[in-house]
Amino acid sequence: MLRVEKLDVAYGHLQILRQVDMHIKNGEIVAILGANGAGKTTLLKSVMGLLPPKAGKVYYRGKDVTGTPTFELARQGISFVPEERNIFQAMSVEENLLLGAYYNKDKAKIAQNLKKVYDMFPRLAERRKQLSGTMSGGERQMLAIGRGLMNEPHLIILDEPSMGLSPTNVLVVFETIKTLTSQEVTIAIVEQNVHATLNVASRAYVMEHGAVVMEGTSEELSGNDYVKRMYLGQSIETENETEA
Amino acid sequence: MDVLREIWDFMSTAILRGGMYSLMAVGLALVFGVMNIANFAHGEFYMLGAYFGYFILTATNKLGLPQFVPPILCILGAGLGVAVVAGVIERTSFRALRKRSKGQWLMNTFLLTLGISVILQNGARLVWGGKYRGVTRMWKGDALNSLLNFGLPPDRLVAFLIAVLCIGGFVLFLNKTSTGRAIRAVSQDEVGASLVGVNLGFIHTLVFSLSGLLAGIAGASLLSVTPASAFMGTMPLYKSWFVLILVGMGSIGGSIVGGLILGILEAFATTYLSQFLGSGSQDFICLAVIITILLIKPNGIFGKAVKSAVE
Repeated sequence: MLRVEKLDVAYGHLQILRQVDMHIKNGEIVAILGANGAGKTTLLKSVMGLLPPKAGKVYYRGKDVTGTPTFELARQGISFVPEERNIFQAMSVEENLLLGAYYNKDKAKIAQNLKKVYDMFPRLAERRKQLSGTMSGGERQMLAIGRGLMNEPHLIILDEPSMGLSPTNVLVVFETIKTLTSQEVTIAIVEQNVHATLNVASRAYVMEHGAVVMEGTSEELSGNDYVKRMYLGQSIETENETEA
Repeated sequence: MDVLREIWDFMSTAILRGGMYSLMAVGLALVFGVMNIANFAHGEFYMLGAYFGYFILTATNKLGLPQFVPPILCILGAGLGVAVVAGVIERTSFRALRKRSKGQWLMNTFLLTLGISVILQNGARLVWGGKYRGVTRMWKGDALNSLLNFGLPPDRLVAFLIAVLCIGGFVLFLNKTSTGRAIRAVSQDEVGASLVGVNLGFIHTLVFSLSGLLAGIAGASLLSVTPASAFMGTMPLYKSWFVLILVGMGSIGGSIVGGLILGILEAFATTYLSQFLGSGSQDFICLAVIITILLIKPNGIFGKAVKSAVE
């Protein structure tokens, strides 16, 4: 579905990504984990054509899409739900969702998808006429995800979907991600909430300082001592002490 | 009776002029709101509209078509012609600039529009010479003649109706079609718009063309009031900027109201103040109001502190 090869990305002279290799297979949920500043968002943005890579290639469904403009990738079925949400604040919820299906000309299909999104997030249905800029962070996040689903994407990329959400809303978001898998959508997800993410993801990459330092299935990584210590907050100091 | 007559004259002048100012200002506000460009070549689109309209009108008048057909062709043709010119300008200059650098965007595009304005003015002078090209009367017909009894100049009245139609159609387009929605989306969040598959380049060209279309229609509609000449664009440009400063930058709804306010201000100045202040009274009043607005409420009377979206 998606393959990233030896990707280098830099802001000016500051190199952010070094030789990042990654792949996502059809129907998988892949998590990208790492601390703040590890380059996760940069990776997603350069895949999506929002940041030009310095070197390396991005393949989508077998085709080289390095340097393809963002709107083309969107039209080819990649939905990116960015950390900043980027919703249209002076528009109503419904208009935001309709824009999600901007290049779809099939009216019946659009109505059907709209209903699906409203079923998934009843909260959005209640507020369909409200200006999205006046909604809470959680509602905006639902809207951003809903908008990303309006055009039946093949691949949906979620950047920090649970950030700034209340625990209930975090639950809603992860429930949604689970339901998406049953609809044969491939998902890439960047999260700080490592525990919940490893629960839904099939595989994961761990990034540090702009490079992939570890990859494996969710079970492997949840069992890994390093991941446990760094990201799951489980103390294994006692073992270390005996070793020392 | 005299007082009533005076009020009627005052209101009709105000509204008929105001409609045209709104039409010009809406295009300017659109370009500012969506592309973040302060377009100082907007008056030249008006000028080109007048020239295109004049040539189409004189050519089609010879064909012996029904009375109302030539002016319609004139206005449509002028609008479309200017839209094409504006589209070409956007592709060749603003798009090129956008690709090179987005730094200092507002200032660089401002200078670019000034350059385009100088080129278009002098180009028009070069090609069409210094002669004024106008017509005495665009819309003819007995029904229209009876309007004169009410002190309404037919051409101005029809021009006003055209302005209302265009603005109405334009607002509907922005709010009800998916392309219009995409234009508003781009004005609110460019990244978000590209993420849902909106081609920013296409929207930018479209927006610039549309603003040219509206200005071209304005220029052609007023052909019998202001004849075509190379430097005629300055006044409508200033007037449109008055409106935008008055109501706040980039607001379409505000520009419509603002155009009418400007019409009322000018009519007031010409009717009641020109006897004290001389013939420049309308500009005096407008500039005085602008300065006051800038001092008291720099974001305009409907403006918000944040750059408002196209609404």
